[in-house]
Amino acid sequence: MTHPSQSILALYAGKELGWLAARRAERHVARCSQCRQVVEAFAALHDDLVGFGDVPPLSWSRLAAEMKANIRLGLAAGECVRSESPAPLAWISGMRAAMAGAAMVVLLAAGLVLERSTLPVPPVAADESMVLRATANGVELNQGGQSLSLLHMRAAQRPGGQLDVTYSAGAQGSMRARYVDSDTGNVTINNVYVQ
Amino acid sequence: MSEAVEPSQELLERQERFVSEHLRRIFVQIYRIVRNVADAQDLTQEAFIKALQRQDQLKDEQKAAHWLSRIATNTAIDFLRRNGRVSMCEIEQAPESHDESPEDSLLRSEQRAFLEDGLRLLTARERAALMLRDVEGLPAEEVARRLDCSKATVRSHIANARIKFRRYMEKRKP
Repeated sequence: MTHPSQSILALYAGKELGWLAARRAERHVARCSQCRQVVEAFAALHDDLVGFGDVPPLSWSRLAAEMKANIRLGLAAGECVRSESPAPLAWISGMRAAMAGAAMVVLLAAGLVLERSTLPVPPVAADESMVLRATANGVELNQGGQSLSLLHMRAAQRPGGQLDVTYSAGAQGSMRARYVDSDTGNVTINNVYVQ
Repeated sequence: MSEAVEPSQELLERQERFVSEHLRRIFVQIYRIVRNVADAQDLTQEAFIKALQRQDQLKDEQKAAHWLSRIATNTAIDFLRRNGRVSMCEIEQAPESHDESPEDSLLRSEQRAFLEDGLRLLTARERAALMLRDVEGLPAEEVARRLDCSKATVRSHIANARIKFRRYMEKRKP
């Protein structure tokens, strides 16, 4: 014989099973003394607990008065805390939301305008007739037969004199000359950009 | 600078009435779960304060009573969870009646202690479900509402609680 589970018997004893499950358990318990004993034990437990729920004798009026006073005190304390840190007013919250929304719209509009606008593109490539070259003592710019030299002061004062110059050319059409004065140790850097 | 807003006289009276109407019921309900007068007193106060701070929930009196019961049950369950299901024996237990003999009183007190020990084996929710069903006599649907779970879960809690309790009683039998 298959016995119902302990859970089924526990619920059957407390009349918590559904109609069909209860009928099934009832039929089994009627012919199984072992399960009947289990159900009786669960039922006895229920009876024990019913009496157990009684509150021990106590002075209810004193206890109730004490509890009421403490509840009042707790509510008053809660009110104090709430009024110390007031909740944000509804209109402030609304204004904040409106401002956030407006800021988003402005950002979006600015993004669109910037994306669509044709910004003036700076001339990257240098004029073909313009030549920038390094000389022994500086940087020279030539255009249409005319030239402009950017020389170190000492080289200008000392014609034919050589200086320790380091040149570097930029991909964007620039030239950099770095002079080191051997007498003073001063370093001079000239950058020439061609547009 | 903020000013404390005084609750209106009408509101205070409504709160007083609400507390007076439900205080005993809620205290007993919590006591049955935590099994200690001092704890039940603290938790009853806590439950009422929680409930009365949400005045919008108190408009419908019947709903408010149910809602308060739910708060009370959850407050008691949280307490049991926090305190590891510890329940102290009452030290102020007086004889049930003046007619009760010292022997009967001792027997009753032993029986209570025996059941108290058994309840400690249950989880907070099993204990609450068993108390609400067997002691308060609430239908499983109402227990489910109070515990904020399904009826099937309540049945499972109740069955587990009874099985654990029965095993405990069998072990302790002389």
